[in-house]
Amino acid sequence: MACGRPSRKTSEVAKGFTRRGRGAALRYAARLDEHERELLVTLFGQVRDLIAPVGSDAPPPASAAPSKPTGTVESDDPFDAIVAGLGSDFGAAEMTSAPDELGGRGFGAQERDSAIDRLFPAANRTDEAAAREFRRLTEDSLRARKIAGLDAATAALRGSADDRLELPHEVALTFLVALTDVRLVLGDRLGLREDADAQRLQDLAELADPGDPAAYAVMVYDFLTWLQETLATSMLRRA
Amino acid sequence: MSIAPVQEEVTSAHADEALDVPWITLVWNDPVNLMSYVTFVFQSYFGYSPTTAQKLMLDVHHKGRAVVSTGPREKMEIDTEALQGYGLWATFQKDL
Repeated sequence: MACGRPSRKTSEVAKGFTRRGRGAALRYAARLDEHERELLVTLFGQVRDLIAPVGSDAPPPASAAPSKPTGTVESDDPFDAIVAGLGSDFGAAEMTSAPDELGGRGFGAQERDSAIDRLFPAANRTDEAAAREFRRLTEDSLRARKIAGLDAATAALRGSADDRLELPHEVALTFLVALTDVRLVLGDRLGLREDADAQRLQDLAELADPGDPAAYAVMVYDFLTWLQETLATSMLRRA
Repeated sequence: MSIAPVQEEVTSAHADEALDVPWITLVWNDPVNLMSYVTFVFQSYFGYSPTTAQKLMLDVHHKGRAVVSTGPREKMEIDTEALQGYGLWATFQKDL
């Protein structure tokens, strides 16, 4: 598991989530500049498109929505590379864990995108038929819920007129899960398979050319980690 | 004066279930999910106390996995689906 690192803000404006008010007036408030909000919209959309099964009945991808504001990054954006499959040449070779009892992702891991396999892992490690049956019964609805959550998180970002993002509890919960989904996909693309990989990734990123897209991806991952840590921490009940 | 009704026998299907080995939901360690987030999910989904949620999170972190719920198979499948919805690496199985 990961610990939230100290602030990895990408702008002077950025402020992590804090809890404001109580009861019906409870809000989780953060400040993110336009670039950071657009980055999140882009990533939520990319992960959404990854999850939406091809030829499914799922609504059209968010990236095809006509409401796309001007200034949205286009297909040459470096982030396209992140979800599309970055990481194969950045530390991934050094980080390949031996497929052991804890590291293996179970049945079907070889058959599809490893990020999809992480989002929807085999649900039973002792009974392959049970795992297959579980997947048949649950995966479509799990995908649909994730897509709806990523869309709602995108709408929350697009709904903020300025740097202030204020989320009521239910939206904050959706946003928190959406951040998880993006980090799981990015983490997979960056070759994170076990706890020790996270530190190795940091070390490699610090040695890399700052213009290296993979080093950039690590910076984005750190930003997401920081933002999620502030939101999760502000939503925790304390002992 | 009436006599208290004789307790009805539990139906055989339920009796079988009760005698059966219980099922468990497991959460496995992964390098991406945050300790704070995993603790939050245990609080939020199961309604576990901050102390219990924290202990389970640390078990996942240090031991590689933890049993987060126990009960009939159907309930364990529901828990597994919900936890996978949160992005945790959850599985269910018969308690061995």
